[in-house]
Amino acid sequence: MARNGEKKKGAGDQNKDLFTIAFKTTIPVLLGYIPLGMAFGFLLDGAGYHWIYAFIMSLFVYAGSGQFLAVALLSAGAGLTEFAIATLLLNFRHAFYGLSLLEKFSGIGRVKPYLIFALTDETYALLTTTDVPQSSSKSKFYFYIAALDHLYWIAGSVLGAALGSVLDLNLDGMSFVLTALFVVLTIEQYFSSEARFPFIAAVGAGALSLILFSSDNMLLASIILGTLILIGREKSIQRTQKKQEMQKIQITEKSQKIQGVLEIQNGIRSIDTSIQPVEDKIKEEN
Amino acid sequence: MLDTLQMLITVAVIALATFTTRALPFLFFGSREPPAMLAVIEKNLPPMILLLLVIYCLKDVQWLTAPYGIPELFTIGVVAGLHFWKRNAMLSIFTGTVLYMVLVQFNFFSFL
Repeated sequence: MARNGEKKKGAGDQNKDLFTIAFKTTIPVLLGYIPLGMAFGFLLDGAGYHWIYAFIMSLFVYAGSGQFLAVALLSAGAGLTEFAIATLLLNFRHAFYGLSLLEKFSGIGRVKPYLIFALTDETYALLTTTDVPQSSSKSKFYFYIAALDHLYWIAGSVLGAALGSVLDLNLDGMSFVLTALFVVLTIEQYFSSEARFPFIAAVGAGALSLILFSSDNMLLASIILGTLILIGREKSIQRTQKKQEMQKIQITEKSQKIQGVLEIQNGIRSIDTSIQPVEDKIKEEN
Repeated sequence: MLDTLQMLITVAVIALATFTTRALPFLFFGSREPPAMLAVIEKNLPPMILLLLVIYCLKDVQWLTAPYGIPELFTIGVVAGLHFWKRNAMLSIFTGTVLYMVLVQFNFFSFL
């Protein structure tokens, strides 16, 4: 590093700073993923599988609820088709995450496939809410956040699978750190975006889905429902805008007509006034 | 109990299915221009999804039996209040988490 000259060193330092910022950003996820990952590893261990599978799954699948589902299906002796369909359905919400990242991820370079692969709920929340530090590389910053979160998840699940039965930590309630993270990021969204309707849509769609759907399906259901509400509202706004424009056109047309009538009236009046003296004259002569 | 090969195939299927859901929008709109409606939705999705994730975290709360979700709602209230006041993410998150762990582990609302 030193023999590469000062310029390179400066860039290295900047990288270090960027990494530190990314690490600080992901600390809540670290504290959430360790206990959650441990719970997964512990379950997989309990189902009779070697800890290496916890490592492989967390490395290549990397989906919290998806991996819990997999353990349940493994214990139930499900077939491959069931694994595929259940996973697709459970994780389909992620397709909506990508929809709002199309622009952010365009031109991000060779880390894009990895960022797409590593798009968990928590990473999505961080990427959509955290600003990239000024004059830093967006792709590096995003990559650090995604990779750190991934690392925490792997570490937690291996820890849980290898030591879960040995350790007796009381981590009850610790995964609430992720709820708190989502609450804080929601408030940050509230500050950074002027739109208020998305929150109303979320409360409506969320409450309805809690009532109508099982807890396993409610997230996907509520995201679909909420998106439909957003689309519906957008369409109705566009419709009223069109109506208003049409009304404006009609009003100008009307006012033009009125203007015309007025002009005609004025004309008649001026004719009247020009006739008046003549009439007066006739009256006088008579 | 699956053997090694079966297990590896199963993991590969789950991994592929998960990646597919995440890559879908990028595959679909990779070569074509997304519709105009999407641009508007795109901006409104993150705030909506984040609040939905908060609601999702409450999915297993038993509202009709003691303690009626009070520890969760109370802690969320504290986190939100603290964050509106100080706007320090670390402070809000850790205060909330420690508070919740204490509430749950010491069963503070056992009188309900």
